[in-house]
Amino acid sequence: MSDPRGEVASGSADSADSAGSTDTTDPADSTDPRSDEDEDGVAVGIDSARGDDPDATATGVESDAAEREDDAAATGAAETPTDRERRREVETDRWLGIAGAALALVGLGVIVRQSSLVLAGAVGVGYAVYARAGDAPTPTLAVTRSVSDETPAPGDEVRVTVRAENVGEAALPDLRLVDGVPPGLAVVDGPARVATALRPGTAVSFEYTVRAARGDHEWGPLTAITRDAAGARERTADLDAPTAVSCTPELSAGGDLPLRGLTTVHHGRVPTDVGGAGVEFHATREYRRGDPVKRIDWNRRARTGELSTVEHREERSATVVLLVDARESAYVAADPDAETAVEASVAAAGQAFSALLDGGDRVGIAALSPLDCWLPPGSGTVHAARGRETLATDPALAPTPSGERFYRSLWLRRFRRRLPADAQVLFFTPLADDTAATLARRIDAHGHLVTVLSPDPTATETAGERLTAFERRQRLRTLRSGGIRALEWRDDSFPVAVAAATRRWSR
Amino acid sequence: MSGAVRDGESGGGSEGESEAGGDGSSDGGPAADLTADFHETDARPPTVAIVASLAAAGVAATAGAVASPIGGALLGVAALGFLGGALRRSTRVLTWGAAVGVVGVAVAGYRGAPAEALLVAAVGLAVAWDVADHGVGLGEQVGRGARVRRNVAVHAGTSLLVGALAAGLVYGVTLAVGGGQPVAALALLLAGGIALTSAVR
Repeated sequence: MSDPRGEVASGSADSADSAGSTDTTDPADSTDPRSDEDEDGVAVGIDSARGDDPDATATGVESDAAEREDDAAATGAAETPTDRERRREVETDRWLGIAGAALALVGLGVIVRQSSLVLAGAVGVGYAVYARAGDAPTPTLAVTRSVSDETPAPGDEVRVTVRAENVGEAALPDLRLVDGVPPGLAVVDGPARVATALRPGTAVSFEYTVRAARGDHEWGPLTAITRDAAGARERTADLDAPTAVSCTPELSAGGDLPLRGLTTVHHGRVPTDVGGAGVEFHATREYRRGDPVKRIDWNRRARTGELSTVEHREERSATVVLLVDARESAYVAADPDAETAVEASVAAAGQAFSALLDGGDRVGIAALSPLDCWLPPGSGTVHAARGRETLATDPALAPTPSGERFYRSLWLRRFRRRLPADAQVLFFTPLADDTAATLARRIDAHGHLVTVLSPDPTATETAGERLTAFERRQRLRTLRSGGIRALEWRDDSFPVAVAAATRRWSR
Repeated sequence: MSGAVRDGESGGGSEGESEAGGDGSSDGGPAADLTADFHETDARPPTVAIVASLAAAGVAATAGAVASPIGGALLGVAALGFLGGALRRSTRVLTWGAAVGVVGVAVAGYRGAPAEALLVAAVGLAVAWDVADHGVGLGEQVGRGARVRRNVAVHAGTSLLVGALAAGLVYGVTLAVGGGQPVAALALLLAGGIALTSAVR
């Protein structure tokens, strides 16, 4: 493989290539580096350098012995090229017609007997030959990607440095690198792309900054596009350089959350309509033998001579399941740069989770999502950590939709099977479609009292936006008229909305 | 915690439009939002490519104008076409510009332009179109904000080198065989050269 042209020729005969899908942001695109498509056996190693260690040379992992021989010839000892998935070379057709124009000039020159025109045409012929010569080189690059912080806090800016060294023997006259930034991370500084030319042995590095968002984020492969010097042929390859960051937000303490009157038998903080021990006055009743002396209404005894007992509202704990709407239709935002309703829902669910757990309630987490996500109700510090982990990194609650199909009735059946009988549901949903409202009513009808907490993603600029806002208000109105508590908030005002609702909902 | 995220992100564009939280309107939109980086906001060709293209086109127009004002004017129109095509990110406009430029070269040659000026005009035109088209491709693939200077320099340099070599070769051949040869002989010489190169290839 010392002859790079030979390698190119075998690559262009590679008819099984998956041409076309150049979408670098799609994580599903990162196929197995040693898939069958890479038939010509020059894919050579997995570059394991990652994280804060950009200089770590790759530990080559050869897939089989045949490749090992090729590899040794190709790369020498210094650095192992990054594994790549090859795609077919395509013609760019940039120079289409240059030969025609050149020959037209020559012909005109012959007809009008002007030798200078023939010479000008000859220059055009020179360019036509230039366009035909050469092939798009196959990039043999050692790629390392390093991030400044692998476990950033949400909102932190993470500096990403990508370095690509040409460890092949062919010069790359036109190399464009597009990094596979995870879909959940927004690039805030400098594009994650570069275009350059690399001689053998030289390297290019570029930096960009992403803003960390909740979740586990894994980088897709780096897409390398090479062209020959004339730009007449183009080749795309994906280079794997695994990098990941994990961003787990702290759960902020939320205020009291008004719960509905479906409780367990255990002592807690939800006032019930059951008389007994407690703080708040509930009723008086006739004295029965054995009632505590301190609960006897002595004023009444003095006034009328009868013995009566004061009863207080018994305070019990509740079992709450936080249900977050993470279907594709819930990934909506008021404007393209704003955070989606799912983000707002998850943040609010985090506040509710810690608040309820602090209040002694048992809290579980579920996602209304094509992917399965279920944290059974529980309590305690271990459960708190688990809940934080679930809210931060569960794939079902990822910052971008999963793209799978959602089957409503299947989901509802499974959810009801799991839901404890005494559980009430806090349903976080933007109410972006009727399914959410219908599900809320159905869960409520099955006896699990539902409180809908709805981040408002609507805008009011255009007529269409006003229409969707109106539809959403209509859904809220229907829910409320059906006896389901609903609460909506915009932006950061979830605690404010909760406080206002607590005053409004006495019980 | 996530308050920081929300502060940062909602501060960026609370004035924005579009993407109401509706049923149908939400398809794919948020995903595109999240993946948006600088490329999506600015896919124009890099400035250095536009400048280099205009410089080459200016040289071509000047060389054309020396020989024939009409040819020079047509080459100037081609330069404007390159500018417009680059700004509109349209390779079609660039192709039209190049076609006008070729017509300009033909007119200048018909008017009896000297071979030197015509060769400079032809090479300048080819380099100008090549760099402008390259810039449009770069804008599509890496965007304006990326670092591309080295890439454009290598591409423009190679293109210029090829043009200069071709022009020098044919000019040298003309000088060597002595100016008085009939034009048809030149054309036949060229045809022979083409046949030879394609046979080698």
